Amino acid sequence: MDGVLSVLYQFGTNAAFLLLSAIGLIVILGMMNIINLAHGELMMIGAYVASSLYHSGVPFAACVVVSFFAVALVGVALERVLIRRFYGRELQALVVTWGVSLILAQGALLAFGPFLASIPIPFGSGTVGTFSFSWYWIALIVLALLLVAGLWFLYYRTAFGLRARATMQEREMAQALGVKTGRVYMLTFALGSGLAGLAGALMAPTTTIAPYMGQQYVAPAFITVVTGGSANVIAGALGSTGFLSLAETPFTIWFGTFIGIVAMLLASLVLIRLLPKGLSEWIQRRWLS
Amino acid sequence: MFKRLQIEDYLVALLWIGVAVYGSVINDYAASSTAYYILNVPMALGLAMLWGISGVLSFGQVAFFGLAGYTYGIVAGNLLSSPGLAAVAGIAGGLAAALVLAVAFGYFIFYGRVEAWIVPIVTLVMTLILATFMGQTAGYEWKVGEVLLGGYNGMTNIPPMNVFGSDLFGRALFYYVLIAVVIAWLAVVLCVRSRFGDVLIALREDPLRTELFGHDVRLMQLLCFSVAALLAGLSGVLYVQWGNYITPDSMGLLQATLPVVWVAVGARTSLLGVTVATVALNVLSFRLSSSGNQYAFVILGALLVVAMVVPTMGWAQRLSGLVGRRG
Repeated sequence: MDGVLSVLYQFGTNAAFLLLSAIGLIVILGMMNIINLAHGELMMIGAYVASSLYHSGVPFAACVVVSFFAVALVGVALERVLIRRFYGRELQALVVTWGVSLILAQGALLAFGPFLASIPIPFGSGTVGTFSFSWYWIALIVLALLLVAGLWFLYYRTAFGLRARATMQEREMAQALGVKTGRVYMLTFALGSGLAGLAGALMAPTTTIAPYMGQQYVAPAFITVVTGGSANVIAGALGSTGFLSLAETPFTIWFGTFIGIVAMLLASLVLIRLLPKGLSEWIQRRWLS
Repeated sequence: MFKRLQIEDYLVALLWIGVAVYGSVINDYAASSTAYYILNVPMALGLAMLWGISGVLSFGQVAFFGLAGYTYGIVAGNLLSSPGLAAVAGIAGGLAAALVLAVAFGYFIFYGRVEAWIVPIVTLVMTLILATFMGQTAGYEWKVGEVLLGGYNGMTNIPPMNVFGSDLFGRALFYYVLIAVVIAWLAVVLCVRSRFGDVLIALREDPLRTELFGHDVRLMQLLCFSVAALLAGLSGVLYVQWGNYITPDSMGLLQATLPVVWVAVGARTSLLGVTVATVALNVLSFRLSSSGNQYAFVILGALLVVAMVVPTMGWAQRLSGLVGRRG
């Protein structure tokens, strides 16, 4: 019993970690086919905002919300100044955002030094029999699911979602029907960046807050995005995090974190060999259309 | 063959002659530094061919660089009793390791016909994983034959290049590196200014049309990727022969940026531009880092952004245009 719980918990935390790290990337990729390589640095900014606010007395939950909006604003600035020049030129956009990530990470090191005060993990831990767990990670699992539900609501139940999906499917037609696609892109980029900031703030208590902290999310987040593909945001996020945590969890338990990541990479390589457009396209084709 | 050469190829040839002459008038220490500045040119030219000419972007060139460097260290370090053989076997082993990784990895991405943005992401992840793996190889259980892998501190005491029983240092090392770099450059020129090169350009412009003309797109991309990996591997071997050590940082995220910056600043498609940019930026980073300047990566990041935003496409071509165009 304890063993089963422990495996489930491991699976849940792995999946929540992947989902939180990748959700902002997936939103941006699905809409504009652009990979934001500064994603990890946006998470870092989110964690920095959360840490500075937390240590000036703001409650943690409020810090997380502020991080979302702060990083969303950074995203708007990035999109207006740089990203909008690169629509339709995905490889160039990749390279530009990489340049941005270098500037942000090294800039943070120069401006704020090598470390920021860390945030203690809220809620403490619980035990069932011999199995012990952190309530905070349970909260993160629930939050990750709520986030996906929120995104589903946004995309399928709001006017913005309708316009966004129309832009994704047929940009020119949407434009002809009066959708301001430029604004949809800007808002999507802001949303994706905001989600990165939110994730950074949420994960801040579980890690060291440092300029290059974004790097630890790079490999897992990008494997998740590659596996999910760009066809459908919700299906991509749920499908690829579920699939990858299934591949990762046993290896993490038996051989440790590093082999877990290698297993994820290999699983995703095999998957894109079989389904080059990613899991989301397959799920969409099989079940959603 | 000569009809296909462009003005910039002659300019690069002149550049190499200039470097060779320069190497004969400077002192031993300066010659050794100059060897360092040019030893990354093969890796950069490989990426220029892959990204600039054929439109496939890889962030993973440093993985082949590092793998080849480590393999050279392992092979040569186990053959210390016969240094000449050690160097040759090390070079062969290093290049073979890079090639095997490239073919295995390239098979999955190119034969899966993945979308263009997946290649840079997956190659980057591969690089980071390799770096993480080498980082945890500290301790005596990570020993291949006589050689310790060394974890984060890296592999040390890697044997230098040895020709006819004498180790190469200083000026001799410089000329050896220069010859290797020129051979690599000639290989790239041979690839790019040939029918194969035409197919690569066609692939960049329109893969579907190229395929309908009867070219095997997957095979061509895999070939190009493998050649680029071999060139990056050559740079890795030259690097360990020059510095006699290698650390996992050589495959880290920051290091992975460098080839992309060199090629982007060199205007991607121009072999002259990429060669000049690589040497110039290596001089710059070497100066900045040896003076302990923390702005090196901010500057490189800014250069990358500027190179992509400002349509630099073709500053080197324009230069060649001033000199005159063939044909």
